[in-house]
Amino acid sequence: MKKYGNLWRTLGVTSVAASTVLMLANSSGAVAKSHALAPIKIGISLSLSGDFSADGTAFDQGYNLWAADVNAHGGLLGHKVVLDVVSDASSPTQVVTNYQKLVTNDHVALTFGPFSSLLSLPAAKIDARYGYAMIEGAGGAPSVFQQGLHNLFDVSLPVKDDLLPFAQWISALPASKRPTTAAYVTTNDAFTQPQIPVAQNIMHAAGIKTVYNSVFPSETTDYTPIADAVAAAKAQVVVLGSVDVPTVSSFMQAFEQAHYTPKVFIATGGPDQGTQFTKAVGLGNANGMMVPNAWYGGATTPGSKAMVAEYVKKYGGTAATVSADVAEAYSVGQIAAQAVKATGGFNNAKIIKYLHSGVVLTSVQGPVKFDALGENNQATAFTFQWQGSNFVQVNPVSSAASKPVLFPKPAWKS
Amino acid sequence: MNVKQLPWWATALVVFAAFPLVVTNPFWTTIAIFALIYMSCATSWNMFSGYSGYVSLGSAIFYGCGAYTMALGSIHWHIPGGAEQFWLVPLSGLVAMVIAVPLGAVALRVRRHTFVVITIAFFFVFQLAAINANFTGGPAGLSLALIPWQGNSFNTPFYYVGLAILVFAVILSALVRRSRFGLQLLAIRDDEDRALGLGVKVKAVKLTGYTLSAFTVGMCGALYAMFIGQIYPQFVFDPVFDVTVALMAFLGGFGTLLGPLLGGLILESSQQYLTVTYSNGSLYLILFGALFLVVVLFMPQGIVVKVKEMWAKHQLNKTPQLEGSTLAGSQKV
Amino acid sequence: MNSSALIHAVVDGVLTGSVYALMATGLTLIFGVMDIINLAQGILVILGAYLSYTLSVHFGVDLFVGLVFTIPILFVVGIVIERLFVARLKGPERTAMSILVTYAVSLVIEGILNEVYSVNQVQLQAWYVDRSFPIFGVYLPYIYLLGFILAASMLGALYFMLYRTRFGASIRASLSDQTSAALVGIDTKRVATICFGIGVAVTAAGGMIYGATNAFNASSSYDLISRLLTIIVLGGMGSLGGALVAGIMMVLLQDIVAVVWSPVWSSMTFFVVLVIVLSLRPQGLFGKLSARVA
Repeated sequence: MKKYGNLWRTLGVTSVAASTVLMLANSSGAVAKSHALAPIKIGISLSLSGDFSADGTAFDQGYNLWAADVNAHGGLLGHKVVLDVVSDASSPTQVVTNYQKLVTNDHVALTFGPFSSLLSLPAAKIDARYGYAMIEGAGGAPSVFQQGLHNLFDVSLPVKDDLLPFAQWISALPASKRPTTAAYVTTNDAFTQPQIPVAQNIMHAAGIKTVYNSVFPSETTDYTPIADAVAAAKAQVVVLGSVDVPTVSSFMQAFEQAHYTPKVFIATGGPDQGTQFTKAVGLGNANGMMVPNAWYGGATTPGSKAMVAEYVKKYGGTAATVSADVAEAYSVGQIAAQAVKATGGFNNAKIIKYLHSGVVLTSVQGPVKFDALGENNQATAFTFQWQGSNFVQVNPVSSAASKPVLFPKPAWKS
Repeated sequence: MNVKQLPWWATALVVFAAFPLVVTNPFWTTIAIFALIYMSCATSWNMFSGYSGYVSLGSAIFYGCGAYTMALGSIHWHIPGGAEQFWLVPLSGLVAMVIAVPLGAVALRVRRHTFVVITIAFFFVFQLAAINANFTGGPAGLSLALIPWQGNSFNTPFYYVGLAILVFAVILSALVRRSRFGLQLLAIRDDEDRALGLGVKVKAVKLTGYTLSAFTVGMCGALYAMFIGQIYPQFVFDPVFDVTVALMAFLGGFGTLLGPLLGGLILESSQQYLTVTYSNGSLYLILFGALFLVVVLFMPQGIVVKVKEMWAKHQLNKTPQLEGSTLAGSQKV
Repeated sequence: MNSSALIHAVVDGVLTGSVYALMATGLTLIFGVMDIINLAQGILVILGAYLSYTLSVHFGVDLFVGLVFTIPILFVVGIVIERLFVARLKGPERTAMSILVTYAVSLVIEGILNEVYSVNQVQLQAWYVDRSFPIFGVYLPYIYLLGFILAASMLGALYFMLYRTRFGASIRASLSDQTSAALVGIDTKRVATICFGIGVAVTAAGGMIYGATNAFNASSSYDLISRLLTIIVLGGMGSLGGALVAGIMMVLLQDIVAVVWSPVWSSMTFFVVLVIVLSLRPQGLFGKLSARVA
């Protein structure tokens, strides 16, 4: 991060402001002369410390990967891309100061979103004030779109639809095999809570009885009493609204201790965290665990394989360890680049108009098309499952890339 | 604040009032607005806790209640985003005061050490209620209507309303300090049993002080909610706010008028600036904690008192050399 | 409502409560002897948990065996904190200042732990953490029972030391009246330092059990310290028996509410009970009204 900071200071505010004006004037004409033009700045605030720092760091990697790629291919309209990343310590107060700084002090040409719905909204309001587009990859909670901000675009899947293919799969099972009872338990969070009723309604309609339904506070650390209550209800399906690995691993541990194995266990977040998940729970116990998401390291969407390869080369690990956050951030850059190219410049008003025009764009997460609220209504939800040491796509059943679901889930084994 | 100091205070006010005219970059005025908010909160925290010695770590209760009053009021009364919302600021202060009365009545039954903890407990009750209740919007929080003001002049009204709240808080705190009521608070701080013995109605005095200090904090919460345009329960009922406000008062000078102002100004603006400039949060925690330790251990009475002491020493040292005759003369008298 | 879940909650509550009682006893001992509120107790518990983590992951030392190292380490950490910072506090605002100083200490430790261990949560692992045995028709993880035994034996040892040894007698004398203790020739300074060390040392054991039953990172300390403070205030500040009873009572109540009513309101119960008890008995359940008037 420091690297960019120093670079900025040496560049000087005035020269950048002047070159931005120049750029806007010439945007249609002088293109494609690679790196002959002044670099352009893209402003981003990320949570590099605090509650969201793990995701913030992954986002940082995704954005940097994208910038490196663009620059390797001649930059944006011939301008070298430089990221201006500032830290917000996961606080909405700080995020407001930060976007204010990026826009009015650093005079960035474009802004990309911070991590999480909580921060996207206050940040987008600052952007709206200055006519900037806010293109973001993680802020898909329904509450974000209710505000009706015209400048906000989320390139990822709207979170409330995450569990759709899963619920459809389980409801379509033949009656003899279909589970009859389900437990829904979720952390009190703007990201997980909206997902649960969507799945519950579909499964209820298919005759799957709700035997336990509860919300627990997000600051819970001891999940044992809640997990024990779920185990005591002996539900065949457990739908867990979780945002991180520790929550899921605690529930799995408590279930194992209670000698209770549900036939199907899906958690909204955690099992998608690659080795971080398998290290916490062990490969034996991970077997059969399901998770909804829009992307995974093995995705075959255009550009995805190349991005994963670059990620592994730059940051190490394997395809399975690449967090979906990286793809979300990378997609933000891709969408912005397409809008810049199509509008022939960095005019935010034109970019906003273009993104609202109903055009279908491409990203490593798949096609992107924005509705009036800025939600990506082309995104497909997938369900993934751990099968042995592999993390595979199992839903939607209609997709050719989907493998059969490991059902029922094997018993716990340490 | 005495008459001799008035010109200084007036000068400071002029500087503050002129600030947004000179520094027009909204980045700096944004930081300035947060600094004004924290200076007001620290001043009014000090007006009760600093004068009475009852350290409250629950001021975020009033901040949060103020913020929710602003948000719920704007939403339910369909107040369009804009200057009209400012009318909700004093209302939010009043709501915070009304909430403070029963809280104070219970919490002030106990003595100081326990009071600290019971304010923390109250704080968690409010935070958990805000996260889990329905009318608060739960963890997704509440969104206020967009304010259709132009970016570069957006901050100005907020800055001046913030400054007005600060001036109010300082005047109130100064008046309390000079009043009989303020002396009673100080008497409680020095020796509560003796104050009681001397006929001070300690319960009523403490409750009045506690309630009064809630008013300003409630207004600040409302201003914050309107400025950010979006509130979340865990960030308006924030335990860090509780500690920060107390820390600002201690850093500047516990129980003094100028101390919380300095503490708030220095801490909030440096924190905002450092976070945006340096991204390593953990390193910041270590430095912040270490600085804090140094201040508490070497300037236990805060910057203001320490500087006064040093100034007095300095005066004492140079006086005999420069004005030795005068001193000798005065000794004869 | 399921009766086996309720039984489970009661058993869990009593067993986990004993661990909280142990950690709270350290806190209340420090307050009782020194009039110091140690806000760093929460982060020290986490430090204890991380030390156990390092020993078990990098050196393969069993969690319980590791206590042989971590308890003395934290005892020394406590002594160092007391000598460097707490002992310097003087004057009428000493207790209030102690809150600030120990808070600053906890910020520094939190920052260091974040740097060393990152903010990703971890949990301690061992065979007895995963496995369980049947009792009263429910399965009980071994760690809960072992944690209870550990907490109970450490509390027993602490009580033995306090009531059956000469040094314990001087601690108790300081607990009831520091000035008189000093007058009869007790080195109250030395007693204070060692008490602080003991009060902190118990966090090694508490932290190990906490880390084995909860996923944690450095910021878990905020939740911990607010609970521990609530427990010692409820029990009566400076009362050892009060910390024990209140610790078990609070966790038990919370677990029962989570099962019977809703997990959402369970942590709130914790604080509501405190407020109700204090409005009826301002000195807490076992506190002495006359003592400790600030």
